[in-house]
Amino acid sequence: MTTPTPTLARQPTLASSCARAATAAEARFRIDYPDLSRRDSRVIALDERTAGLARELAAATERWRGGHFLVFGRVLPGGDAELRTAAGEPVRLSSELADADVVVMLAGPADDPGPSADAAAVIGDACAARFIMSAGLVVPGPGPVDAAVSALRPNAMVLVVLQDGDDVAEVLSALRV
Amino acid sequence: MLKKEINDLLTQTGPGTPMGDLFRQYWIPALLAQELEENDSPPVRVKLLSERLIAFRDSEGRYGLMDEFCAHRGVSLWFGRNEESGLRCTYHGWKYDVNGQCVEIPSEPAERESALCKKIKLRSYPLVKIGDVLWTYMGDPAQTPDLPEWEFARVPAENTFTSKRWQECNWLQALEGGIDSSHVSWLHSGGLKTDPLFKGAQGNKYNLADLKPFFEVVESDGGLFIGVRRNADDDNYYWRITPWVMPSFTMIPPRGDHPVHGHFWIPIDDENCWVYSFDYHSTRALTGTERQAMLDGHGVHNEYEPGGSYRPLANKDNDYLMDRAAQKRGDTYSGVKGIAIQDSSLQESMGPIVDRTKEKLVSTDSGIIMARRKLWRAVEALRDDGVQPPGVDVAHQRVRSAAVVLPKDQAFIDGCREALEVQPGVKHASV
Repeated sequence: MTTPTPTLARQPTLASSCARAATAAEARFRIDYPDLSRRDSRVIALDERTAGLARELAAATERWRGGHFLVFGRVLPGGDAELRTAAGEPVRLSSELADADVVVMLAGPADDPGPSADAAAVIGDACAARFIMSAGLVVPGPGPVDAAVSALRPNAMVLVVLQDGDDVAEVLSALRV
Repeated sequence: MLKKEINDLLTQTGPGTPMGDLFRQYWIPALLAQELEENDSPPVRVKLLSERLIAFRDSEGRYGLMDEFCAHRGVSLWFGRNEESGLRCTYHGWKYDVNGQCVEIPSEPAERESALCKKIKLRSYPLVKIGDVLWTYMGDPAQTPDLPEWEFARVPAENTFTSKRWQECNWLQALEGGIDSSHVSWLHSGGLKTDPLFKGAQGNKYNLADLKPFFEVVESDGGLFIGVRRNADDDNYYWRITPWVMPSFTMIPPRGDHPVHGHFWIPIDDENCWVYSFDYHSTRALTGTERQAMLDGHGVHNEYEPGGSYRPLANKDNDYLMDRAAQKRGDTYSGVKGIAIQDSSLQESMGPIVDRTKEKLVSTDSGIIMARRKLWRAVEALRDDGVQPPGVDVAHQRVRSAAVVLPKDQAFIDGCREALEVQPGVKHASV
């Protein structure tokens, strides 16, 4: 006597397998636990305009999950840079990147792309060397953003050109900064 | 991550909901034209935005879309007789025209019948054939926008092909798959080499040679352009640019001279949606081989269960015909055959409405983040100030996807501004 080949139709179907697994009723049994994971995010303003924004964002502490809001200061030898915290304390880029999972650079309209481009380059290179994901947000404001886009494009794996400054906080929230 | 109240706001599209009001600003696909192929053909049940409707084509070729249920005793008009310029309820013979107006109540005295009929009208919506699709507008008649101008629906009939499939999840998680460019290198890897509607393009080589693409998201008047760039050579990048136009239109960048594909995601209710999938060529007729490949379910199309339900043959009741041996051999990455079902299998597995408070987005999800943000802003602007949302203006609909090679220092939005707009008689920009 041969044993019939099992088929899907003959297999017992539990509520948590096959078609029913995707129902709203079964969704109730997804494991529900608090999200205690921490994402070490670094948000770095590259220019004066976005420096003010970074400080404003940092002040809304209840909104963030441990992300650091920083302002670019100057390039240092050896591929490093000096940054400042929202409180004005100097910190090294290299030390900020030691535990970083993602770096988000902010740049706004500027006549001269030079300073932002230099800043983005040193941050982008440092992220690439450490295999850290780098993103750039171009923040709107008076004046064209072409220079900011040019500065960020070679140095950010993901670049978003915004039309509404309010979106910066929403994008960072969505990324659990 | 999205707060629960925002997730609810964006995923609920029934009557009276803010997102439902937003969808009701647009002409949206209601059926394929082939579903009402001839005059007096059988009526079709249609559920859209959580409203149960009946569609029919009368003896003069006029299309109607109206409340599914007879005003008399609530019987489904799907059981009706489509005859002599109206749909007649088979229970007591009440008859309705394509505008939902009752035109006959046979049981009433002839002297009163006309007066009573005038007082009885089912809720109805306009239904218009453009291309392979019957489009409806479910909003305020006084605000009816211009008819849609999507290129796939406006090119000659021999240039275009549209299919649809039932997807058993909320519209938003299906749409988000369409603007999530980073999943293509994983879930759909394999298809570039074998699918008759993709293979052979020069761009495929760039795709497969550079697995670490850069992403660029730029807002447009109608929605977003999502650019993905890979290395082409020392001086140039290969860009693939996907437009998203609100609320739920996307177009996949072309490959070589293949037809261009795209989608509309239309809510049936909050836990189901229609995926309309189109293929068209801007300057030539589809070949017989291409059209047959689409009918056979290749590319963005799919095979169906028998019976005409538009439910895919591979669906959640049969575990999408998962083929573990094919997965192990590498024929497909996921073990599921076909791009359409590769997408639907994973998107349906998330549940009818995914809980976005628990997700952990990363920066390559920026297109999704921005699309949600734009939808959210538009919903609030409409609700609070009556602002017409992006995508209603037909100028926003004249977009194209593009696949181009550009110098490394050139922004895609500048380098192919013309290529991202419809230019009649000009081919898609494609590599």
